[in-house]
Amino acid sequence: MNTKYTNAYGRNIDWFTILLYAVMVIFGWMAVYSSMFNLTGTNVVFDLSKNYGKQIMFLGFATVIALVIMTMEYRFFFGFSYLIYGVVISLLVGVLILGDHTKGAQAWFRLGDFKVQPSEFAKFATAMALAKLMSPFNFKLTDRNNLMRAVGIIALPAILVLVQNDTGTFLVFVSFSLVFYREGLSGVFLAIGAMVMVLCIAALLVKTMLLYIIITSLTLLVLLLFRRYKKLLGIVVLCWMAAMTVVTGTSYAVKHLQPHQQKRIMSLFGLEVDKSGVDYQKDNSIMTISSGGLYGKGYLEGSLTKGKYVPEQSTDFIFCTIAEEFGWFGSAFLILLFIALIMRIIYLSERQRSRYNRVYGYCVACIIFFHFLINLGMAMGLLPIIGIPLPFISYGGSSTISFTILLFVFIKIDSHRMQDLSR
Amino acid sequence: MNIKQDIIWRVWLTFGLLSLFALAIMFYAFKIQVIEGSKWKSMADSLVSYKNIEATRGNILDCNGNLLATSIPIYDIRLDLKADGISDAIFNDSISILSSKISNLFKDKSAEEYKNILVNARKHGERYFLFKNKIDYNFVKQLKTFPIFNLGRFKGGFMVEQESMRMMPFKHLAMRTIGYKNEDNTRVGLEGAFDKELSGINGQRLMRKISGGMWMPLNDENEIEPANGKDIVTTLDVNLQDVSEHALMMALEENLADHGCAILMEVSTGEIKAIANLRRKLDGTITEDFNYAIGDNTEPGSTFKLISVMCLLEDGLAKITDSTGTEGGEKKYGEKATMRDSEPGGYGTITLQRAFEKSSNVAISNFVTKAYGKNPKQFTDHIIKLGLNKKLGLQINGEATPLVKTPDDKKIWSGTSLPWLSIGYEVNLSPMQMITIYNAIANKGKMVKPLLVKEIKSFGSESESLKPIVLDEKICSDATLRSLTTLLSGVVEHGTAKILKNPNYTVAGKTGTAQVADKNKGYTDKIYQASFVGFFPAENPKYTCMVVINNPKRTDKNGMLVYYGASVAGPVFKEIADKVYSTNIDMQKKTLDSTFSKAKIPIIKTGSIHDFKTICSSLGFNYVYADADEESDYVNAGINDSSYHLEEVRIHENRVPNVIGMGTKDAVYILENIGIIVRLKGYGKVTQQSLSAGTPFDKSTIVELTLE
Repeated sequence: MNTKYTNAYGRNIDWFTILLYAVMVIFGWMAVYSSMFNLTGTNVVFDLSKNYGKQIMFLGFATVIALVIMTMEYRFFFGFSYLIYGVVISLLVGVLILGDHTKGAQAWFRLGDFKVQPSEFAKFATAMALAKLMSPFNFKLTDRNNLMRAVGIIALPAILVLVQNDTGTFLVFVSFSLVFYREGLSGVFLAIGAMVMVLCIAALLVKTMLLYIIITSLTLLVLLLFRRYKKLLGIVVLCWMAAMTVVTGTSYAVKHLQPHQQKRIMSLFGLEVDKSGVDYQKDNSIMTISSGGLYGKGYLEGSLTKGKYVPEQSTDFIFCTIAEEFGWFGSAFLILLFIALIMRIIYLSERQRSRYNRVYGYCVACIIFFHFLINLGMAMGLLPIIGIPLPFISYGGSSTISFTILLFVFIKIDSHRMQDLSR
Repeated sequence: MNIKQDIIWRVWLTFGLLSLFALAIMFYAFKIQVIEGSKWKSMADSLVSYKNIEATRGNILDCNGNLLATSIPIYDIRLDLKADGISDAIFNDSISILSSKISNLFKDKSAEEYKNILVNARKHGERYFLFKNKIDYNFVKQLKTFPIFNLGRFKGGFMVEQESMRMMPFKHLAMRTIGYKNEDNTRVGLEGAFDKELSGINGQRLMRKISGGMWMPLNDENEIEPANGKDIVTTLDVNLQDVSEHALMMALEENLADHGCAILMEVSTGEIKAIANLRRKLDGTITEDFNYAIGDNTEPGSTFKLISVMCLLEDGLAKITDSTGTEGGEKKYGEKATMRDSEPGGYGTITLQRAFEKSSNVAISNFVTKAYGKNPKQFTDHIIKLGLNKKLGLQINGEATPLVKTPDDKKIWSGTSLPWLSIGYEVNLSPMQMITIYNAIANKGKMVKPLLVKEIKSFGSESESLKPIVLDEKICSDATLRSLTTLLSGVVEHGTAKILKNPNYTVAGKTGTAQVADKNKGYTDKIYQASFVGFFPAENPKYTCMVVINNPKRTDKNGMLVYYGASVAGPVFKEIADKVYSTNIDMQKKTLDSTFSKAKIPIIKTGSIHDFKTICSSLGFNYVYADADEESDYVNAGINDSSYHLEEVRIHENRVPNVIGMGTKDAVYILENIGIIVRLKGYGKVTQQSLSAGTPFDKSTIVELTLE
């Protein structure tokens, strides 16, 4: 072990990431404050009955946790990865039995006045377990057993959150597949995944029977064109079967989704117009963003924000507040902050000697990226409305703390990268 | 490709894709926020906006606190006939009951008609149907209980929208002066002049649109609280105003006149107690649409002679005892102009006093031309010094600009200007200006500006009182004042206004009968303006009153046009003055009764005959029925030596009875029973009553009883 690095505390900490983190949480708190700001009432910053007051508390708590993480033994995370994963999985199971229902999702433990959402913590726990699994030098994703185990580690919490009706978090787990790509999984899988998604969307947009006909015709066309390549025949037929299954499955699933989810998906594709319901919500969100214009209306001046048109504006739709009050420049600043953070994390991941660190880093980047992608896509009406917070910005104790843990564990292990054995 | 290169390639790809993604999402945000901004913005503006909260407009009060104008809430009822809760079944079940209930409530349409209206509106899918306009809260309360409507705003589609409406509890009373909103949305009268004070400051409230086109406040409190308007306390007295308008209206109708006005002013303060402006429309109906009192600028005619005489006396150029000839009632000035007196043949040689009392045009102009013929500017300067060439600067708009011809203005000044000016032509004055001058004479020379609003009250802060404004501390010497008062009293005592003479109070004033120049035709023989201006009681004036009636067309039984100030305007003056007298204790003469003298037998209070007989028989006193009999209810006991002479207390309709000598209980009983308001002073039996027995009275007449 090289004592030179252990003593020079702080030298290896990536202060740039911490700076980005700090800028984001402060920006985030300002937006939360504005979202809940009441023109006439008193607005005491530390008012614990208000979201912005609580958020300050959460941020304080997150800071303490970040400090604790920074002073902990860095190998703790590697060593206890599976244990942490195990604890979180049992919490996810527990919440199904003991949890509170909120907004159609059974995802909360009640602790006095506060509610804890275990699925938030499942993200970093899964990231740790996945990193631990893939850390051995001889681990290869091309090995089918390894791949199955890796997929299993992700699938277990993913299915558990899906059962809780937490579609947003489920989608975040899908993001781990990007990590596999980095770790040597063939791009074919991503391509297949992309195809599946195209089919799913098509299944929603086009009549199922028409889609069957199109897929079958295309398959027949391919068979006709490539009839000389006998080897391909089986694969093509397999693909046809798979495609038919996906389409059937999707249309079946849509019919059996929760009514509000159905509506959201339908509305996204303009299949159903419901002015008082989902479409209205989407329009209100876009309207709020749009009304900010290029320069914004100014901090605490957003009239639509004050109008509380957008539901959940301090959590899932926090972007609306920023866009309305700070305009396009504010939106662009926020987007750049996120892209800078994600790129920084990928850059840091690439410089790791230990595979555990690298995989974990990629997981962090993917989770943040997916949250960012889905959240903004949803706010701007590009994606269905899925309740998912914007990391470091949105109000919420569980998400603020879990994202802080997620990021700071990485910052911590990154600061010790020199102590790890090279690959 | 080796693994390392492959990985580096993948990482760069990731960075590249991320950058592209960032650009894409930034572009998309740009598209929404800037490119499509206006489209979304207009949608957004229709959702949240600051709405005005109208401040409650202040009230206009009369001097006793009666509401002259106030704002009351009224309601519009709108219906959403496609509301969620109105299923076909519910609608069809309830429509008949609902229609008949509505029909019963409003009684303006049959149940069938209401049913048709509602069924049609529902057929057309009306979601914001204006069902009832401007109804009061009692109707709203009842409607709310009706079927379908009782489902409420969202289910039953029953929407109530509040507005406020200006109401004048006394309807047309002083309508023009109190003011209203004109067709062109400008406010006239006091409503317009004090609009700033009355309207207050509108508040603002952030509202959001909810489904059904309704707006809902966002916060519990208003963003800007409305500051309600202040109340305006006018000098008007509703009772006097009522009498003035009624008297004026009767006069217009009786004399077939075009229009007229009456002003009643309190002498010491200039407060306008009543201001009536009426016009008789071609169809004979009476309307109040122009403030003639302040806006009608005409040549005043004979009432102006007061000013001429004032000038003569002040400048020492004549005494009221000086005499002049009346030239046979006709005097030629130059070739064309002939001045005539109303009395054919004139009055012979008469004094200035007599000339004034008889309103001799020839005599007055003789005095003035003799005195000022060499220097007419001295005369016009006098008039200008009184401020008659300038507006008074009243609290309301609409004052006409006066005109006084002067020798400086060569274009309009001619050789006949001076004599005609002296009798009230060649000068344009509004009735309000004229009454201001007369009021100054009544007010011992102090000229005060007519006051219409005396207080601006605001809730929660100190009210602002508007003090009388003195225009001139002394318009003439005390000697002149005394002479003028003598002249004015003489007009009523033995001059042109003898019909105003009455035993209760004294009047000093001047009649005016002017020929009015028709705007198109010039002077014609037919159009006259009859006026009377004066004050009362003459010896200690409390009120000044002016009545002007334009173009009276009534003819008497000989077919002669009745147009003289005294006969046309005089009765209006009298009716107003009588009312003032009957409601104003200070003015009522103390009527002392001399019944009480030293006597050998004790004085017995006037009272019921039954009580009286009981007392006398048990104490052994004698009495005789002097002017009473067994049937009398109340008797008055006079004392003659050692016996009582009983006189019946007769109670006639509309005549104040004699209650002197009675006990309080009996006196109050008798007086209040016939509708007189009683004020008591002291204890014991009645020794004085402020209105003497036999005086006619009407409702709200006040009598003060002095008890000892």
